[in-house]
Amino acid sequence: MTNTFGIFASVLGGSGLVLGLAYGWMSRDYRDQEIAALTERLSQMEDSRAALAAKADQAVAFEARLEDLEQALATARDEAEAARQAAAAPEVAATERVSDPVAEDVTSARLDFGDPAKGAEVFAQCQSCHQVGQGAEDRIGPHLNGIFGRRAGAHDGFNYSDDMQMMGADGLAWNRDTLDAYLENPKALVSRTRMNFAGLKDAGDRADILAYLRQFSASPQDIPEAAPTAQAPEVELAPEVLEIVGDTDYGEYLSSECKTCHQQDGSDQGIPAITHWPTEDFVVAMHAYKQEIRPHPVMQMMASRLSDEEIAALAAYFAQLE
Amino acid sequence: MKLNRRVFVGTGMAAATTLSAPMIHAASHGKPKVVVVGGGAGGATAARYIAKDSQGEIDVTLVEPSRSYYTCFFSNLYIGGFRELDSIEHSYGTLASDYGINVVHDWATGVDRDAKTVSLAGGASVPYDRLVLSPGIDFVEGAVAGWDLSAQNAMPHAYKGGSQTELLKAQVEAMPEGGTYVMVAPPNPYRCPPGPYERISMVAHVLKASNPTAKIIIADPKENFSKQGLFEEGWQKYYPGMITRIGPDFGGGNVTVDPAAMSVDIDGELIQADVVNVIPAQKAGMICDAAGLTDGNWAPVSGHTMQSRMDENIHILGDSTNQGDMPKSGFSANSQAKVAAMAVRGALTGSRVFPAKFSNTCWSLIDTDDGVKVGATYEATDEKIAKVDGFVSQTGEDAALRQATYEESIGWYEGITSDMFG
Repeated sequence: MTNTFGIFASVLGGSGLVLGLAYGWMSRDYRDQEIAALTERLSQMEDSRAALAAKADQAVAFEARLEDLEQALATARDEAEAARQAAAAPEVAATERVSDPVAEDVTSARLDFGDPAKGAEVFAQCQSCHQVGQGAEDRIGPHLNGIFGRRAGAHDGFNYSDDMQMMGADGLAWNRDTLDAYLENPKALVSRTRMNFAGLKDAGDRADILAYLRQFSASPQDIPEAAPTAQAPEVELAPEVLEIVGDTDYGEYLSSECKTCHQQDGSDQGIPAITHWPTEDFVVAMHAYKQEIRPHPVMQMMASRLSDEEIAALAAYFAQLE
Repeated sequence: MKLNRRVFVGTGMAAATTLSAPMIHAASHGKPKVVVVGGGAGGATAARYIAKDSQGEIDVTLVEPSRSYYTCFFSNLYIGGFRELDSIEHSYGTLASDYGINVVHDWATGVDRDAKTVSLAGGASVPYDRLVLSPGIDFVEGAVAGWDLSAQNAMPHAYKGGSQTELLKAQVEAMPEGGTYVMVAPPNPYRCPPGPYERISMVAHVLKASNPTAKIIIADPKENFSKQGLFEEGWQKYYPGMITRIGPDFGGGNVTVDPAAMSVDIDGELIQADVVNVIPAQKAGMICDAAGLTDGNWAPVSGHTMQSRMDENIHILGDSTNQGDMPKSGFSANSQAKVAAMAVRGALTGSRVFPAKFSNTCWSLIDTDDGVKVGATYEATDEKIAKVDGFVSQTGEDAALRQATYEESIGWYEGITSDMFG
């Protein structure tokens, strides 16, 4: 393939030179410019040849990775089967999680929206560009009435960045999760957004601001299909899965793979800390990746080959790390 | 008033214990008493569940003026000719005979919250330990200039099932060729968010067959409404050119009607109409206000138990409540009734109480076999009932899916009406 491309490039380059010579014969003054242009085109073509070659290499790498993944999947299947058999064995006592709903606190809803009053204060830093509420108009940024449920870049009359419009066309719509991601790091979600804002790192601040903004979008009471005001559990897991008590030793063994990126001491530099999580949250998060509900591709890949027992083991291990 | 479930159940058990003592001496008088006002989707369901699940331990009285109940849900389908009137008519016979509920056909006119009694129009006074109010809606006076209840025969609202629905259907069928139907749509919040627009679909369905040059005009004070994209797609597909909606940008919220002249003034433009369907702004059923349980137009309740925020001995259900995210619908009222029934039994007999969970689905019919739906699940927080997750039909769905959705709604109707009336 590389050879064919070389021949193709040299034939093109050659014919270009012939053309250039002929042109030069007709008008010698332009000859130097013409040669410069042709040389540039030649180097461009060389670049794209290199890019193509790199892509070919990548394809090989992808194939290798695919094989790896397939292998991992097969192993995971075997392991799952083994685990299933182990679980079926009578001597493995199921650890009971006594759950008495009456004894639980009544505030069972998982409200990932924060406090709207606090959110109004946090919103002060947004007001130099964004208006919200009655009579709000577009300023430097679009007004934020009705933002929940709206497609990205779709509010009529506002001049959005190309990237924002493209994301909207690709299906990005504003809900609690997408707005949270955007507020955390705007450019991570929409690369060349015009919103000149570094991001709100504090998850609590974001929850508060979203609770505040939610008040200015359609109410589900009036329009039942309007965006939720509470957060749904990410994945519905069978109680048996949540009841698995993780083996911390096994978890420690498995964790070496996680620690390539996530730091053991719980520090958080670009990659989230995963120590001291409530085990249930950890299990839910991993299953959300495994079921590709959470979007991160690396985590999806890592979680895809973990069995229920392995996820429980990791959860137990990271929860008790000093 | 903040209720914690532990305290709540605790007092419930204490009440049950103290009540059990006098029962030895006077069994029937010692039974805890529940009075339910309103025999619709909320009240009938609550009465039935409390009676059924307490297995005779609680004395249940249901106060409802009508002997025949016509469901508001599916009444549009009657207008469209898809249902017979008697198919949406229900009686309270089974609730009395099979569940031992004392059904009283009378109007509840007031509540003495200190004495814990409900007064009836017939003069009787009924004592309660817990009261459940599920009175539906009433209309805000003066909401539409020129209209009041005395005009409801000339310009029907048809927003309570029964004779009003029959009247509107008869008026639509009697429209002259090329005549005009005007709907004055209500502002938020109101009973059944997609209801007015399903009604428009059903009226258009009738007119398309019998009076295809007739016109439908909607004067609407709201910018958006539920399932708007789905309705507008359907109207374009089945009834092109027949329906005009005038939103608030064009004065749809500025309406005066003249019932004697059968005219409607929409932002200065006078329309001579043949049928005028006025659906005014709404408020909690009158008894809520009479009992001092409203704040503004609605009665605030706790989502955990459906207890009034103003009186913990009173639970309020359905359209009358200000509870949070649930739409005012029969499905919602039925769902809330089960939470309230559980809480009432917990308080009076010490039975187990679980965290409140709610759901709702609203189906609408756009034309023959073209049904759409919107639904969600909800949970109780301390502040309100909050929407957790939901779904809505999409535009461009194929005919088989729409037909399946319609058939699902028929199944639901059978289900909810058995759940209400036994």
